[in-house]
Amino acid sequence: MASNHYQYEDTTSAQDLPPKQIRSLAWRSLLLQASFNYERMQAAGWLYSILPGLRVIHKNKKDLSKSMKDHLEFFNTHPFLVTFIMGIILAMEQKKEDREAIRGIKVATMGPLGGIGDALFYLTLLPITASIGASLAVEGNILGPFIFLIMFNIIHFGVRFGLMRYGYRTGVKAIGKLKEGTKHVSRAASIVGLTVVGGLIATYVTFKIDYTWKQGESELNVQTDILDQIMPAMLPLIYTLLIYWLLKKGRSPILLIGITVIVGLIGSYFGIM
Amino acid sequence: MLLEAILIALWAGIIGIDLYNGLTHIHRPVVTGLVVGLILGDVTTGLIVGGTLELIWMGMVPLAGAQPPNVVIGGVIGTAFGIIAGQDPNVAVGVAIPFAVAVQGLITLFFTVFAPVMHKADQFALEANGKGIERINYLGLVILFIFNAVIAFLPIYFGAEKAAAFVETVPQWIIDGLSVAGGIMPAIGFAMLLRIMMKVEYIMFFIVGFILAAYLELPILAIALIGLAIALYDYYQNKHKQGPTPEEGEITDGI
Repeated sequence: MASNHYQYEDTTSAQDLPPKQIRSLAWRSLLLQASFNYERMQAAGWLYSILPGLRVIHKNKKDLSKSMKDHLEFFNTHPFLVTFIMGIILAMEQKKEDREAIRGIKVATMGPLGGIGDALFYLTLLPITASIGASLAVEGNILGPFIFLIMFNIIHFGVRFGLMRYGYRTGVKAIGKLKEGTKHVSRAASIVGLTVVGGLIATYVTFKIDYTWKQGESELNVQTDILDQIMPAMLPLIYTLLIYWLLKKGRSPILLIGITVIVGLIGSYFGIM
Repeated sequence: MLLEAILIALWAGIIGIDLYNGLTHIHRPVVTGLVVGLILGDVTTGLIVGGTLELIWMGMVPLAGAQPPNVVIGGVIGTAFGIIAGQDPNVAVGVAIPFAVAVQGLITLFFTVFAPVMHKADQFALEANGKGIERINYLGLVILFIFNAVIAFLPIYFGAEKAAAFVETVPQWIIDGLSVAGGIMPAIGFAMLLRIMMKVEYIMFFIVGFILAAYLELPILAIALIGLAIALYDYYQNKHKQGPTPEEGEITDGI
């Protein structure tokens, strides 16, 4: 599947998108998580956000369909910073870049931006602004909620709209230069993407055994004394590779999600997870 | 009580959407406290309870798909209970938390059962049917609205204490189990990415990324930068080997 390079039917670059449309796409990105689910996460909302741009770029119906299908693949990033990726990807679509390069850049940027966004907004901006608002509110001061909302959203919307413009401009400029070395760029993007996926598995899949084996005086915690000693994040890796293997065998993601729920319930019932 | 319960339900529906879409953060308890206070006619108590709940939920944010106790229902039920029962803010918190945890379990379930809809989306993409994709997203919004509105309406209309007793009859292991499953769930998405991107020649980079996170516990940005460094090295190595074509010589200058 990956080795067959898709050939565009219409290979001519599209016109630049007008600034007004770029802004309207940033508005649409507010619905990034409207159809959030555990199989593709934000994928359908991501496609929703860039869709009007894709329609303008791909006049050829087969190209449009291929592009839409690609953008329904698993996608997850920070919902404020997503506009930066939108800008870059739209620029790449516009230049009719190799589809694997587009996918590679998308996957390579979504992970780091997710991490940066969490650190910046959920761990810094929100606690600061919300604690200012809450400290006024607990004294019965009606200004508390308003001060919170204004401070938070000036930065929120500034970032969302600013990054959309910046991402698109950067994309249009940088990609013109890269166009010729597409195969190398795809390979480079895949390298970054897979390095990041390796890191994401160890960081964000939480799979721990919570069981302590006791005999007399001695205690043995299965997770910290055995599994972590063999290899940290071993269970997340094994479980992800197991799912990967089952997917390759043609098992449906829905079945695998169901199995995961059952694993959680069984683990919790027997008190081992 | 009916009119107040309906108004609160509408507010819960709107901020239930804002929790995931829009993200203007009107769904935070500090704002909900004011609104529910207005609806129930006691703004000062609303602000105080809302502010208290806000401080509790401060650290509970959705990081990388891990779901904290639901802040929407926690804020709405907590404030409403605090005002109606005339209780101390901390008691309101005690009532709010079990609701919030149970509701987040239900949202995990919703995110699970919404997965099959993606196959309908695939079909729309194949037909280049943009309207279809848009309808799927609007459907998600409608479900979020109704879900949150109903969940907020019932306990306020029938009494928060009765509802809390009902929530407590759900066995703890089910609620815990859903939360455990939610923690494992990102594995599915990552496996699907691997299926799309993985080639034998790339396995080494995947291993490096894993080691950097698992053993060295580097943040994802650092790992991406290391990946970028390797990719740049690989990119110029390859180009060097093949000998630059005239057009490619131009590119090298640009980067």
